[in-house]
Amino acid sequence: MIPMENFLVLSALLFAIGFYGVLARRSAILILMAVELMLAAVAINFIAFATYLDADAFSGLVFALFVITVAAAEVGLALGVVLRLFREKRTANVDAADSMRW
Amino acid sequence: MFDRLPLPSQFDRTIVAGGSVALLVASPILVVVLALLFSDQISAPEMVFYLAAIVVVAGALGAVLLPNIVHAALSLVGTLLGVAAIYLLLLTEFIALVQVLVYGGGVVILLLFGLMMTNAADDPVVQDGSQKPFAFLVAALMGSLFVAAMLDAQWGDPAATVVPFADFGARIFRDFSVPVIIVAVLLDIALTGAFVNARRAEHTPEGEAA
Repeated sequence: MIPMENFLVLSALLFAIGFYGVLARRSAILILMAVELMLAAVAINFIAFATYLDADAFSGLVFALFVITVAAAEVGLALGVVLRLFREKRTANVDAADSMRW
Repeated sequence: MFDRLPLPSQFDRTIVAGGSVALLVASPILVVVLALLFSDQISAPEMVFYLAAIVVVAGALGAVLLPNIVHAALSLVGTLLGVAAIYLLLLTEFIALVQVLVYGGGVVILLLFGLMMTNAADDPVVQDGSQKPFAFLVAALMGSLFVAAMLDAQWGDPAATVVPFADFGARIFRDFSVPVIIVAVLLDIALTGAFVNARRAEHTPEGEAA
């Protein structure tokens, strides 16, 4: 059987890579892609804990399913906002969306 | 029909270079992992795990590092399919199927449409004082902290349990009916919001063209 730590370390690496992407990328859609990586890492953690530590092994699966659903909803909504931003500013660069900056 | 096929001289240089690099990187890894397998250092599921993990991490690095945004999106597809393989190794076929359907079929297509409609380049408006080194530092610190914490913790005694595929629908609608309804409402609101946001404003008060 695969040790549980393997999955946990993989998800930690995936989360850190996604975090770097969120901080370093400047295009809104590339930031969205990095957020998807972080959400996938969280779902891996949920499922690993559910499979290995929970005798029932169902709650974690349901939460991973909800994470995937919320990620899909988030992508749809965020792309609507990005299209709106592109129409107003002619760019999808998040540095351009500074009209609410103090 | 055959005269429509691209000649070897017309292949995208990036595709050829990327394929060569992938082959050069992948073949030593495959040799090492197979050697470990046949010398009984690791079991067969562990070998599959290491291959999937390499695909996941390499695809994620490509998704956050590649300068060409379409290449980054395709690299993300590799990561998400690798994550589906990880779900299979965690004995949850249903989540793996949902992952392939929702991400491979829906989210990535949406992202590619977004890329096409916004011609989103990744060049910063503020050229001086890039935050990439700082971002790398923070991400490396956080990642090493997480890895250390995961390896250090006492997890009790892990024992794998499997939820049968057939039980899934019955249990999710019996034990989790209220969260399912809440998620359904959330999806509805999110898609309505996306539609309202992305629609061209036809009747703006001052007649300003959006």
